[in-house]
Amino acid sequence: MKYLTPHRFTLLAIMVALVLPLTLKSGSLATELLIFAMAALACNLLLGYTGLMSFGQGIFYGLGSYSAGWLLLHFNLPLLLAVFSAMGVGALAAAVVGWFSIRQRGVYFVMLTLAFSQMFYFLAYSLKDVTGGDNGLLDIPRPDLEIFGQVVLPTSSPWQYYSFVAILFVAVFIAMQRVSDSVFGRTLLAIRDNEARAAAVGYNVKAFKLMAFVLSGAVTGLAGALHAILAGISPLSNIEYHISESILLMTVIGGTGNLFASVIGAAAYVLAADWLSEIWPRWMMLFGFLLIAVTLYMQQGIWGLLEKLYKSFRQSDSGMEAKSLTAGKDQV
Amino acid sequence: MNAHASNDTLLRARAVTKKYGDFTAVSGVDLNVRKGTIHSVIGPNGAGKTTLFHTLTGSVPITSGSIELEGQEVSNLPGHRRVQRGLSRSFQVTSLFQNLTVAENLRIAAQGRAPWAALKAWRMAKTTDAACLMADALLERFNLIHVAGRAAGLLSHGQQRRLEVAMAMSARPKVLFLDEPTSGMGVDDINEMKELIHSLKGEGYSVLLIEHNMDIVMSISDTITVMQLGKVLVEGAPAMIRNDERVRTAYLGNMITGGKN
Amino acid sequence: MNVYLLQLINGIGTGMLYFVLAVGLSIIFGLLRFVNFAHGAFFLLGAYGCYQLAQLGLNFWWTLLLGPLIVGCLAMLAETYLFRKVYKLPHEMHILITVGIAMVLQEVVITQWGPLGHNVSPPEALQGVVIWGDFVYPKYRVFVIGVGAMMALIIAAVLEGTRLGAIVRAGSESTEMVSLLGLNIKRIFSLVFAFGAATAALAGVLAAPIRGVDPFMGVEALSVAFVVVVVGGMGSFAGALVGGLLVGIVQSMMSTIWPPGANLMIYVAMATVLLLRPNGILGRA
Repeated sequence: MKYLTPHRFTLLAIMVALVLPLTLKSGSLATELLIFAMAALACNLLLGYTGLMSFGQGIFYGLGSYSAGWLLLHFNLPLLLAVFSAMGVGALAAAVVGWFSIRQRGVYFVMLTLAFSQMFYFLAYSLKDVTGGDNGLLDIPRPDLEIFGQVVLPTSSPWQYYSFVAILFVAVFIAMQRVSDSVFGRTLLAIRDNEARAAAVGYNVKAFKLMAFVLSGAVTGLAGALHAILAGISPLSNIEYHISESILLMTVIGGTGNLFASVIGAAAYVLAADWLSEIWPRWMMLFGFLLIAVTLYMQQGIWGLLEKLYKSFRQSDSGMEAKSLTAGKDQV
Repeated sequence: MNAHASNDTLLRARAVTKKYGDFTAVSGVDLNVRKGTIHSVIGPNGAGKTTLFHTLTGSVPITSGSIELEGQEVSNLPGHRRVQRGLSRSFQVTSLFQNLTVAENLRIAAQGRAPWAALKAWRMAKTTDAACLMADALLERFNLIHVAGRAAGLLSHGQQRRLEVAMAMSARPKVLFLDEPTSGMGVDDINEMKELIHSLKGEGYSVLLIEHNMDIVMSISDTITVMQLGKVLVEGAPAMIRNDERVRTAYLGNMITGGKN
Repeated sequence: MNVYLLQLINGIGTGMLYFVLAVGLSIIFGLLRFVNFAHGAFFLLGAYGCYQLAQLGLNFWWTLLLGPLIVGCLAMLAETYLFRKVYKLPHEMHILITVGIAMVLQEVVITQWGPLGHNVSPPEALQGVVIWGDFVYPKYRVFVIGVGAMMALIIAAVLEGTRLGAIVRAGSESTEMVSLLGLNIKRIFSLVFAFGAATAALAGVLAAPIRGVDPFMGVEALSVAFVVVVVGGMGSFAGALVGGLLVGIVQSMMSTIWPPGANLMIYVAMATVLLLRPNGILGRA
């Protein structure tokens, strides 16, 4: 927003996708990182850009996971078709949940998303025949990427699947960046800033919020689908409250000021989970404290922290640079 | 009373009533705004002026009554739809997009006249867009060019009040609702604002104005409606209002005659 | 005995439990305008308190008193030293902070008592059934209905009959008005917050012998509390009662017709109410 070259973030995202294979040993871990980065991006579109705090992202993640799993298991769909169908399911679910939830504002909206999240959990639990209940869907195949019957990209090894996911990740990032820079994205920012004024200047605020919700649902559904294919299973936990909470957590901790911050948040969470869970199974407690700390002291998240460090670095470099107090108000 | 319920009535409000539970804020108000005129609404605090604005612009749903713009009923439309019909407002308590730049505030407001174009999630705003051009024109007219890139929340009070009015104008409205546009402003700013509102008349705008500054009200209004306790007390040309006993009583003294004759 | 009558009474019992769970959330938001997403965690602590104290051999009646009291005190401390600083921040911050606290508390519970659930037996005096002609019903559940009804009466009496109650009711209408009354508002806030937490904990203590304890019951409780408040109307004591009973009865009835759908039904009911009355049955429009 304040930056002169918004492409800066896209380049960073591409760099991350390229650098991960060099820094991480596990292809699965790297893939999971990008998957959650996508989910966090989608959550940030709602939180950072529209001002909507959704505890329901797990709904779309889980539904995306179940649909992709189901389509691959029962219909042997090609990879891309399964994945895009999951996006469609996510979008549809978001339209329904969004329609209900957006009728309320502020805290009530948040409460509703949480309640709906529980509802879909119970729904998934009850429909055992479709979702496998407690066990989830198992043995989900991972077809190679084919276009017109030709294998374009095999997906059997972890790093091969990673490349498929990485391409989607970059595509999603570019698309989301474009959306946030577009007239639509800027209108969302206005709505977040002052909803009453946005309505007073002519915008149907509910419609805009709903569209943001649907976009978010689609991308989150995609993330869920990719995870089901990664793990080969679509467990009940993909639609539980915990996943909604975690996605929101990553988004907040990363920072809501820009989209790349969400990638950082997701990376922090996934990597910490991987490294800490061996040492201390109750590592989530740390994230609980981190969430409190970020909310009280570090509202710009990890990205904000890095930004501050970078700036103080540059200032100490230039030493005598006059610290001009940014002028408050001019008298005209 | 206003005998001119004639063809050039742009906005006709009839028996407008707004109740909040048991409390009646506005009761049976009739109001006609004629095209190309400045119509002021005055009255002591609590008279219901701002609530009347809320119901006319759609910020708040009407309890009963009818509001016609160019012969078409708009009282059942939500506020944002009325903007597209040609109603636009500024707020008594400054309500800007605090974290967005002044230029962006105006662009967003201008775009609001054709909001569905803003749903295009793939499209960047171009400087040649109608909304951007409108924003540029307003920046110049309202003397805000030099702060165009500043966040609205960082402006001085006078600049913010100017931006308030500018945003209301972004929608190229037929009827412009200005709610105490000069509140809190310094003397020079007030004069500037007065000239500006007056010039709008010449450009074909119709203005509905709530003001406490009687100098402005008396010097630029074509019609004045006086409200008290939710009802219309009297309506007429400035000269008539100034001499009306009921108005003097309502205002407890000479405040009405303030300013230049 | 008629199975529907049985489920209706079960529903009333569950409903009373839901009322006790949700009333604190509703009143706290009504007066303090503070959104407490750790409300479920207080329920959790109450339930585990019941389990632990039973393990230690403590008399159930003492647990019924001590559990809510301890949680209430902890909540009061949290309010005084943490939440008070946060009131002026936007609601989203309240949510995030209390979510963080709930997260930490859940992990603490798992650390202390493990990730799996435990059963809790009702106290000896309340085991077995009540027989009254044709009517056979578990004693403990009758007890729960009794406690719930008593709580409802006490709260209603306080709200309508005491100065504190008048303040809470006034504050639900307007926070500005309350601060203008010039009372020691901070102390009142602390008290109300502690009370809200204590009632959640009480619900936990009561629930433990019925459904056992597990670390994830806090999330479920939070969600149910939200549903009750959405259905009944936020900030309304009567709303919490009506909402709680409605939700409880719907859930119970459903468990006869399609058992897996019982929990689901709570949310379907919520969605229905939202369609027809967006502000809840007794909510202010």
